[in-house]
Amino acid sequence: MSELVRVERLKKSFGEHTVLQDVSFAVPEGSVTVILGPSGSGKTTLLRSLNGLELPDAGTVRVSDATVDFADVHPGRRGRLPRPQRQTVDRLTAQSGMVFQAHNLFPHRTAIENVIEGPVVVQRIPREEARSQGVELLAKVGLAEHADKFPYQLSGGQQQRVGIARALALKPKLVLFDEPTSALDPELVGEVLRVIRDLATEGWTMVIVTHEVKFAAQVADQVLFIDGGVVVEHGTPGEVISHPQNARTQDFLRRILEPI
Amino acid sequence: MQVITSRVAGMAAALVLLATTLLGLAPVAAAASSAPTAPAGSASTPDTSAPTGSPSAASAAPSGPAAGLPKVLRVGTEGVYPPFSYHAGGQLTGFDVEYMKALGRALGIQVQFVEVPWDSMFAALTSGRIDLVANEVTKNPKREALYDLSSPYVDTTGVVVVAQDNSTIRSLKDIRGKRAGQNLTSNWADVARANGAQIIGVDSMDKAIQNLRQGSVDVVVNDKLAVRNFMASQTDPGVKIVAETSDRSESVLAARKGSGYLPALNRGIAELKSDGTTTRLYDKYFTAKEKPVTDWQLIKDNAWPMAWAAITVSIPLTLISFALGLLIALGVAVARLSTNPALFAPARFFISLMRGIPVLVLLLLIYFGLPQFGWKLAPFTAAVIGFTLNVSGYAAETIRSAISSVPRGQWEAARTIGMGYRSTLGRIVLPQAARTAVPPLSNILIDLLKSTSLASSILVVELLRQAQIAAAPTFKFFTLYGLAAIYYWLICVVLSFVQHRVERRVSRFVA
Repeated sequence: MSELVRVERLKKSFGEHTVLQDVSFAVPEGSVTVILGPSGSGKTTLLRSLNGLELPDAGTVRVSDATVDFADVHPGRRGRLPRPQRQTVDRLTAQSGMVFQAHNLFPHRTAIENVIEGPVVVQRIPREEARSQGVELLAKVGLAEHADKFPYQLSGGQQQRVGIARALALKPKLVLFDEPTSALDPELVGEVLRVIRDLATEGWTMVIVTHEVKFAAQVADQVLFIDGGVVVEHGTPGEVISHPQNARTQDFLRRILEPI
Repeated sequence: MQVITSRVAGMAAALVLLATTLLGLAPVAAAASSAPTAPAGSASTPDTSAPTGSPSAASAAPSGPAAGLPKVLRVGTEGVYPPFSYHAGGQLTGFDVEYMKALGRALGIQVQFVEVPWDSMFAALTSGRIDLVANEVTKNPKREALYDLSSPYVDTTGVVVVAQDNSTIRSLKDIRGKRAGQNLTSNWADVARANGAQIIGVDSMDKAIQNLRQGSVDVVVNDKLAVRNFMASQTDPGVKIVAETSDRSESVLAARKGSGYLPALNRGIAELKSDGTTTRLYDKYFTAKEKPVTDWQLIKDNAWPMAWAAITVSIPLTLISFALGLLIALGVAVARLSTNPALFAPARFFISLMRGIPVLVLLLLIYFGLPQFGWKLAPFTAAVIGFTLNVSGYAAETIRSAISSVPRGQWEAARTIGMGYRSTLGRIVLPQAARTAVPPLSNILIDLLKSTSLASSILVVELLRQAQIAAAPTFKFFTLYGLAAIYYWLICVVLSFVQHRVERRVSRFVA
């Protein structure tokens, strides 16, 4: 398998607080990478660095043929980026789709409109064509009959599945999931995880931040355990989840699996 | 009907000017300064009894008696100062008005009246919006130094007026330390001031008398003829004349310094005196008794003219200014949110400026101030620009905060599907911001409607001005201002209804 993503020596701090210190890893094409770690460990910042929503202070990220060396990216006052740097980052952003913890659906657009917004506006695909492709995507996540509903008319799990369909609509090389089930009621988690598992079997390359350890063990090809901004443990689910070597990993897994 | 068409024409001209404004500001200055002397489309009353035949024909008369005068003389008069200048039966009339018509006929020129509030009168003269003031201008050395003053066409004395039950003020000497209700720039204010009174500014004589009746001033010093006329029009005036001022005051016509009008004007004034016209008008206006009108008659007479002023002026002024203001506000709000200092700094300055200047000051600056730099705008146009700027300052902040209230996640989600700044703003953020912005923007709209009453101070004959014109000769303030209040309220009810519909429309995607 060829390598789709390479992350090297990422560093990020907010003022005094170091969020990422020297994080490196690679993602083979068609694989599923799960990032585990306690709250505040830097895992969401790491994920958001992969598509340029977050700008690390140093290090490089390469996704497919888009590479950003963050040492060359210097946001000015009010987060302003000079145009050439903005374009470099935008190229990285364009490589991946993203599913957000709070789904971030466009509330004034129906499910299908959310899905086809990118294809119609960005790729300029004719509306009818985009719509039929969009309905197929909604069918894939089990929502074909809800295509014309507004987000507020859908349950949390349905909203998140629309979010997944929207992330896939541009056929990105990489799909990023930022705690896709953390904001859901427990009984709705399953329907979302099943969709993600199906995507894994279809061969999508995915990086997933989650607290669902059992799910990670099922779908992940590799697991990164992050704490304090460093990769504490890195390997297959069998290594990191079933036989963790590091005390911090062990402690974290015990607290997740046996909360009381 | 003529008034109506000229009003509509004035509005059309204003719209054309506005369109030009949007295309670029430079051409407007040229257009405005080269525009024919068409003043105040909405405020001018063409003299229907002017000599028949075109003005050019009149001026082509051999050795034209109008030498040194323009073919069309724009005459500023108050319109709310009976019996000199007021409205009766929908027409501008009064001693000064009829006198100027007679003078125009005698001199073979056309006279076009422009109604200007007294305290703006000399500003209008200086800024070239009118050529002559015919409004009982009393001759005094100060004015003689500043303006060309004609020979007197009528003379009178001032009187000291107090409330019916006042027994302390019996002569001009007794007004020392008392509160006198006066037009700030009038000669009578100078007389009151010279006698030690404290001047309380009012903008017309009828309001001065009203203040006197209400006890908010102690004394009014004004023209004997005007006061007599008032007392004759009332069954129970509630005020009395206690003294006359010692010196006779002479009323003159005032033109800009160096106008060259004086020889012709003075010849005409002498002619009217010798042919008996002056005496005839004097008897007609200063000795006749005005009969009091009932409230009902007043409402019947003014309900339609006031409604018409609302429909043709107040409402279009509101809607045009609001639409243009919103457009500018949107641009300013987006610039204000930009990360580019070249955009957000000027936007911040603009907002601060527009929110910091009272809209009345803005209107006066545009209408009376800009002519000094060769920018002469019609009243309606000036009002549209003033209100547009005012609205854009406020609406920009409303729109900016509405945009900021859209969650960051919406911007991020749009970015991750490849949308750029513009399409994100237009397709994702603004539709959601609209929901937040509609209620405060509606407040701005309703506030704007009410603020258009301020346009009366720059000669726009809108709803309130129409009410003032009707109230001046009758002194029935409650009736006419009450009617105006009801009209404003009714329009606001309609606007609130529209607001409700729009709110529902932009909120349809939320449970």
